[in-house]
Amino acid sequence: MKVRFWGTRGSLPVAQKAGTIRDKIAAALVAADGRKFADVNDARRFAEDEIGFAVSGTYGGATSCVEIEADEEAFIVCDLGSGVREFGLDAMGRCAAGHARTYHVFLSHFHWDHIMGFPFFVPVFDPNAKIVIHSGHTDAEEALRRQQEEISFPVAFDWLRADISFRLLEPGQTYEIGAVKVQLIEQNHSHKSYGYRFTNAAGKSVVYSTDSEHKIDAMDAEEAFVAFFGDCDLVICDTMYSLADSISMKEDWGHSSNVVAIDLCHQARVRRLALFHHEPTYSDADIQRMHEESIRYEELTREHAPLDVICAYDGLTVEV
Amino acid sequence: MTRGDLAWTVETRGAVRLVAPAGRIDEASATAFAERLAQEIDSAAACGSAKLAIDLAAIDYMSSRGLRGLTLAQRQSGESGIAIVLVRPNEIMREILAISRYDKVFQVFDDIERIGTA
Repeated sequence: MKVRFWGTRGSLPVAQKAGTIRDKIAAALVAADGRKFADVNDARRFAEDEIGFAVSGTYGGATSCVEIEADEEAFIVCDLGSGVREFGLDAMGRCAAGHARTYHVFLSHFHWDHIMGFPFFVPVFDPNAKIVIHSGHTDAEEALRRQQEEISFPVAFDWLRADISFRLLEPGQTYEIGAVKVQLIEQNHSHKSYGYRFTNAAGKSVVYSTDSEHKIDAMDAEEAFVAFFGDCDLVICDTMYSLADSISMKEDWGHSSNVVAIDLCHQARVRRLALFHHEPTYSDADIQRMHEESIRYEELTREHAPLDVICAYDGLTVEV
Repeated sequence: MTRGDLAWTVETRGAVRLVAPAGRIDEASATAFAERLAQEIDSAAACGSAKLAIDLAAIDYMSSRGLRGLTLAQRQSGESGIAIVLVRPNEIMREILAISRYDKVFQVFDDIERIGTA
């Protein structure tokens, strides 16, 4: 099973400015310290191995969209943030090479950043595509139709060519969808959100849990998440804020922190945690620092096997 | 002492009630930690203390449950007009306070003697 991150930013898409790129180039040149490179590949190795990711790359700016590749019979994708535009283009290429044109979409909720990519998702114009929108909410169709009304977008929902259907899922049930078993859990967020657990035939499992606030006055409720995350190979978690922010000025904004995510994953004996739904005001350096601090917090609080803490970025592929 | 138990020492220094828990504050001990802090706030209010100082020198580590227990205590103490301050964080606690940004929402003192004069 592979997990591909097509959009990892929270709330709002962001783009790099010219000055930011210039600063990265300047930092790389200083790090190179006059060194000569034999060719582009030699320079690329230097960029990948010898300077930090915040300088050599970027965490990206597309909003939530994560693909779970289980087989070639159907695509599985979590959320329709702006990252789904690029996923759609890539998927069309794979379909041309023989991949089935079935898409199972799992929506955490319908806030803009999680559905804004749908009007630009090219497979909706493919008359041979079948798209099933799975959700724990009863109003998924209303949300997607509403954002394509004329006041918001020039292409109406009814003009889309794919066979699009909606399916309501319930927490506590296990569904066999495509090549995976799927479970969901209700999360605390405005208008609710849902987290999903995907398990393939080999028993490998991935949890997608974003836009989920773990309330300070309901900490006992975290036991349900520990059980839901239990023994998981990869948990993708909303880590938008620092703990202090999440319980002070940003309390009730519906998001969680890196340290709560690590604690939940430690309790659940999770093997790998992907930090996700990055704060849009964070620079690449800010996100890298948050990642480094998260790794350190995991070390300081570890009681059992190590938890591998990775930081999701647009374009990252993880083998589970 | 079994897992989940914390050892506490308490003393009053003028207008400051100083409490010093020792051990790990994790999921097993966080509830007891928060309940004991609530008691200490009541005691501090009863004694007329202006501040409750929590000595972090003997804390092995504190998870998010413990940190959030500090916040709940801060909210409770605010209603009683008592300020909660943190004092003498060891190296591990200093790192945890920085990573969680709790050093931005609590006053942190390196020296017990400086609390009263702050």
